Amino acid sequence: MYEESGCFDPSNLQQQEGLIQAEDGFSQSHIPNCNNPSFSMEEHSNYHQNHPTQQDVAAAVLEMELQQQIMQQGETHWMQEIVNGSNWQELSNFNRNMNQYSLTPYPTTPDLLNMFTSPRCSPSTATLLPNSSISLSNSAQKSPNFLASLGLLGDLNPVDGASASASVVYDPLLPLNLPPQPPLLRELFHSLPHGGYALGGSRTSGSLFPGMVDERDVNGGDGRHFENGVFDFSGDMNCIGKNRAEKDTKHFATERHRRVLFSDKYKDLRSLVPNPTKNDRASIVGDAIDYINELKRTVNELKVLVEKKRSSKERLKRAKREDDSIEGNIDTKSLDDMGQPYNGSSLRSSWLHRKSKNTEVDVRIVDDEVTVKLVQQKKINCLLFVSKVLDELQLDLHHVAGGLIGDYYSFLFNSKICEGSIVYASAIANKLIEVVDKQYAAIPPTSSY
Amino acid sequence: MEKRKHIDSDDEDDKYKSKNLEAERRRRKKLNDRLLELRSLVPIITNMNKATIITDAVTYIEELQRHVKDLSDQLLEMDANCVNEKETTKIEEIDSAKEMKTWGIEPEVQVTSIDGTRLWIKIVYQKVKGGFTKIMEAMSVLGFELTDISVTTSKGAILVTSCVEGTRGGLPDVDQIKELLSEIIKSI
Repeated sequence: MYEESGCFDPSNLQQQEGLIQAEDGFSQSHIPNCNNPSFSMEEHSNYHQNHPTQQDVAAAVLEMELQQQIMQQGETHWMQEIVNGSNWQELSNFNRNMNQYSLTPYPTTPDLLNMFTSPRCSPSTATLLPNSSISLSNSAQKSPNFLASLGLLGDLNPVDGASASASVVYDPLLPLNLPPQPPLLRELFHSLPHGGYALGGSRTSGSLFPGMVDERDVNGGDGRHFENGVFDFSGDMNCIGKNRAEKDTKHFATERHRRVLFSDKYKDLRSLVPNPTKNDRASIVGDAIDYINELKRTVNELKVLVEKKRSSKERLKRAKREDDSIEGNIDTKSLDDMGQPYNGSSLRSSWLHRKSKNTEVDVRIVDDEVTVKLVQQKKINCLLFVSKVLDELQLDLHHVAGGLIGDYYSFLFNSKICEGSIVYASAIANKLIEVVDKQYAAIPPTSSY
Repeated sequence: MEKRKHIDSDDEDDKYKSKNLEAERRRRKKLNDRLLELRSLVPIITNMNKATIITDAVTYIEELQRHVKDLSDQLLEMDANCVNEKETTKIEEIDSAKEMKTWGIEPEVQVTSIDGTRLWIKIVYQKVKGGFTKIMEAMSVLGFELTDISVTTSKGAILVTSCVEGTRGGLPDVDQIKELLSEIIKSI
C-alpha cells in the first residue's frame, strides 16, 4: 500500500499532528474493524504521538466515518488509504492516494485519469472542511447532487455533461468536473480547434482556466504547450470527467492562477496608457477609457490634417502649373490659399491631457488656435524651453500668462498654427512633456534655479 | 476577481460588516460599470467576459496607436514634399513692422526695482518669430526667477510684463539690465 502512495513522505508523519489522545480510543475501536491485514502498527502509533488540532480531530472523526462507510462498501483498500491520509496535512500526499480512492465510485474514470495526471485531487482535503466532508459521504451517488451539497459553492447549478458546453464560461466549479464519459472527453479534447486557442500574439480569445492547463499534463495526444495559456475551453472542461474530489485544492489553485492572469492583463493595459494614475483596477479601466477616446480624437485630427494637406497640395500644384514664371503671382496664389477658409470641412478640434511626474500638460486645438496649459513643479525656468519648443513646432505665440503659484509654475500659452503646418495635439503634448522632463532631469537636485 | 477583504472585527461586527459590504458592493459596481463602458468603446469584441474585455481593449488600443503612427508618418511624408512656409513668415514680419509704425508704437524697455530683489520689467517689441524666446533667454542669463509674466500681442507688437526675482545675490543694477534688454530687442 505504501508503495503506491509514492509521494508520501515518511518524515511528514512525524511532524504532522494526529489525533488527540481522547481520539485514540475512538480510532482504536475502529481500527480493529478493519479487515485489512496490512494495516501497519507504525501508522497506528502515529495516532498517539502527535499533538492534535481541532481540524485534525474533525478530520479524523470524519475520516473514521468515511472509513466505516467504505468498509461497508467492502473496499478495505481504500480505507487504508484514507487512514493514511488522515494523518497528513500535505495535500499533495492526499491527492495521489485519493486519486485512487475516488476512482471507485466511477468505474468509468480510469481512462480520464490516464489523460490527466492531476496531483491535486483529493476527497480527503475536502474532509478538512467539515461541510464538504459530510457531503463526501453522499458522494456515492451522482455528482450533481454532490456538487449541490457542497457548502463551498452554493450558487452553482449542477450541470451535466451535455449542458456543460453551454455553461457560463466563468463557472468556478469547472475544475470540479462531473462524471465523464471518457470517450466524450477524448472527443472533446481532440475537438478543441487549433483556432480555439490563441497563443500570446493575438489575444482575442479569452483565457479560461489557464490554471487548469498548468495543473494537467495533457496527454490527450496533442502535446500542446499552454504556457501562454490564452485559449478558451468554453465549458468543455465540464464534460471532462475530473474527480469531483479534487475540486478544493484544484479550485483554489486555479482560482489563484486565474487571478494572477487577470492581474497580468490589467498590468498590460496599464502599461499601454500614457498617464497611469492609481494602480487599482477601476482606475486602470478608467484610464484606458480616456486613452481610447483620446486616441480616437487624435486619429480624427490626423485624418483631417491629411485631407487638408492633400487638397492644399492639389491647389498648389494647380497654381504652379498655371503660373510658374512670375514670383509675384505665386505669392498672390499662396496668399489666396491662406485667405481661403479651411476646406469647408468641419472645424478641427482636439484636446488631450498628459501628466508626467512633475508636469502636467493640457493641449487644446480649435481650428488654428492652440492653447497649452502647463503646470510644473517649481524647479527650472521652463518658460524658455517651452518657448523654444513652440518655435520649433512653428507655433506663433501671441499670448502668455502665468507665474509662480505656491510650489508650482503654471502657464497658459495661446498660439496660432502656421498655415500648412502639420502639428497635431498629441505631438505637441508629447514634445512638451519630453522637453520639460529632460530639463528637469538635467538639473542637479541641489540647484534651485 | 474577488478580493477577499479581511473585516476588522474589533468594533461591532455588524456595523463594520455592513459598511464594508456596502463599500465592497460599490467598488465592484464601479469596476463593472467601467468595464461595461470600456466594452462599449471597443468595436471588436469576442467573448463577453471580463478577461476578454481587457484583452480586446489592449488589442484595440494597440491598433489605434498603429493607426496614429501611420497617419502621422504619412503626414510627415506629405509635408516633406511641400515647401511654402518661408514666404508666409516674411509676409508676417513685414506686416507687423508696418502695423507698429501705423499705430506709433515704439519698442521700449522699462525696468523698475520693487522691494529689494524684485524687479518689474516691461518690454515692447515688434512681433517676430522667435522674439519671445530671445527675451526668455536673456532673462535666464540674467538669473531671473519668474514670479509672474504676462504677454500679449496687439497691433503688431508684443507687450511683455513681468515680475521677476533676482537670484544672483545683491541688488541688481536697474540701469544695466535696461541696457541689456534694449540691446536684445534691437537685435530681434
